[in-house]
Amino acid sequence: MDSDLICISIFTSEGISIWLAAILTLAIYSFLYKDNPVYRFAESLLIGISVGFLLVTTFDTTLLPKAFEPVGMGITGIFESGGINSIVIFIWILIPVVLGFLMFTRFVPKYAWMSRVALALYIGFGAGASIPANMQSYILRQIDATIRPFLNIDSFWTMVNAVIVLVGLISTLFYFFFSKEQKGAFGKITRLGTFYLMIFFGATFGYTVMARISLLIGRLTFLMKDWLGLIS
Amino acid sequence: MSIWDKAKTLDRRIIFLFMFLGVALPLLVRIGLPVSVTPDVERVYDYIESLEPGDIVLVSYDHDTGTLPEMLPMSDAILRHLFMKDIKVVGMALRAEGTGIGRQNIRRTAAEFNKLEGEDFAFLGFRPEITAAILGLGTSFERVFPKDDTGIPVGEIPLMQGIQNYGDIELVISITDDDTPVYWVNYANARFKVKVVAGLTAVMATTFFPFIDSGQMIGMVAGLKGAAEYEKLINKAGRAARGMDAQSIAHLVMIGFIIVGNIAFVMRKRGK
Repeated sequence: MDSDLICISIFTSEGISIWLAAILTLAIYSFLYKDNPVYRFAESLLIGISVGFLLVTTFDTTLLPKAFEPVGMGITGIFESGGINSIVIFIWILIPVVLGFLMFTRFVPKYAWMSRVALALYIGFGAGASIPANMQSYILRQIDATIRPFLNIDSFWTMVNAVIVLVGLISTLFYFFFSKEQKGAFGKITRLGTFYLMIFFGATFGYTVMARISLLIGRLTFLMKDWLGLIS
Repeated sequence: MSIWDKAKTLDRRIIFLFMFLGVALPLLVRIGLPVSVTPDVERVYDYIESLEPGDIVLVSYDHDTGTLPEMLPMSDAILRHLFMKDIKVVGMALRAEGTGIGRQNIRRTAAEFNKLEGEDFAFLGFRPEITAAILGLGTSFERVFPKDDTGIPVGEIPLMQGIQNYGDIELVISITDDDTPVYWVNYANARFKVKVVAGLTAVMATTFFPFIDSGQMIGMVAGLKGAAEYEKLINKAGRAARGMDAQSIAHLVMIGFIIVGNIAFVMRKRGK
């Protein structure tokens, strides 16, 4: 790449960010040679920035518009109108905000019990919302998807696919049935289930390798294209 | 020490060097290996293709910066398709880091098609607590996002004035590196019947095949390979297409090391 072009690009905001990103990328990859202070600095910087960004974003886009501003508006409403309606509205705003702040009492051991009230509501909501939803998506719809193909068989291969899925489901479920020793006919079915699991693990491992290499490709593309200009 | 003993004690840095060369050289010298389109990606393309100009699609950036090299090419490809079709895009994030990534990404891609912020696309910002956020959008977008991440009241954004809840949305696309699409399926698809598509890291792909088979998701675009397939479908080669040569060669290097490692293992066993 033309060295003048590099000099010019360094002194622009985009150039500075590209150079910073490139240096930090190399700092992280230096770990591949061996652990070193440059790598640890880059790693700590990443963690610090991520946490800082999360805190600022959460405060700015959630706490401010969903808690502080409504409470402020509620108080203003009481002082401006003074009616019972504005007080009721203020209480409705205040309840979830107070419950949210009760979570912070965990930091003070003496008052930590207060956080359980908010936590109980949170767990109750979570369980109530997720149990039927997961039952639907992970169990009922999956049973339906296993059985339904047998009702719509239009070719030999459709039937083969449906049988492979059904056998895989049953044998894998048998594998996770631990109340009976895996011997005899039962043992043979569970062994078949093991093969299905191995195929799944193999596929997952293959996808994982693909994902990790994709990340390397992304970074090398950045270094060779955006930083060094070796790729057009 | 035999060659097989040496293979066992091979310095891992030599493997890294081979992997580096396997990725870097194909990036410098294009081979142009073919990319075949899989049905899961084609279904996503076909569904977006079936939408009308003016329809609204919600794109949720549910990932961190760590997986950006995988997520960005697919996000670019899908957004290009949406803007090509004059479909309106509403962006949001269920991960804090997705806020910056999403806004920047939508703005950049929209600029390629001269789309106007606020009219052709909008970005709402970040909401924590995934379940509450997704369920809340089923009632009112404005209640979940009173203001966007730049402080503009959502009710004042022209595009958002026509959007009340999922009833006004044709499709939800979750660009993610974890299991967030399960939440979209559980709470947006199951309860509000909105169609869901996932743009995933390749690691997560096997988790979502059952959701596609059971009709709970239309399809998925998984990893850099999925992005390259999508680029091929929209006939606009980008970073993913270029990366496919490197991906294939790196896989061959990996397979080579697995084969050599196993041969070394067997030979050493025989030698004992």
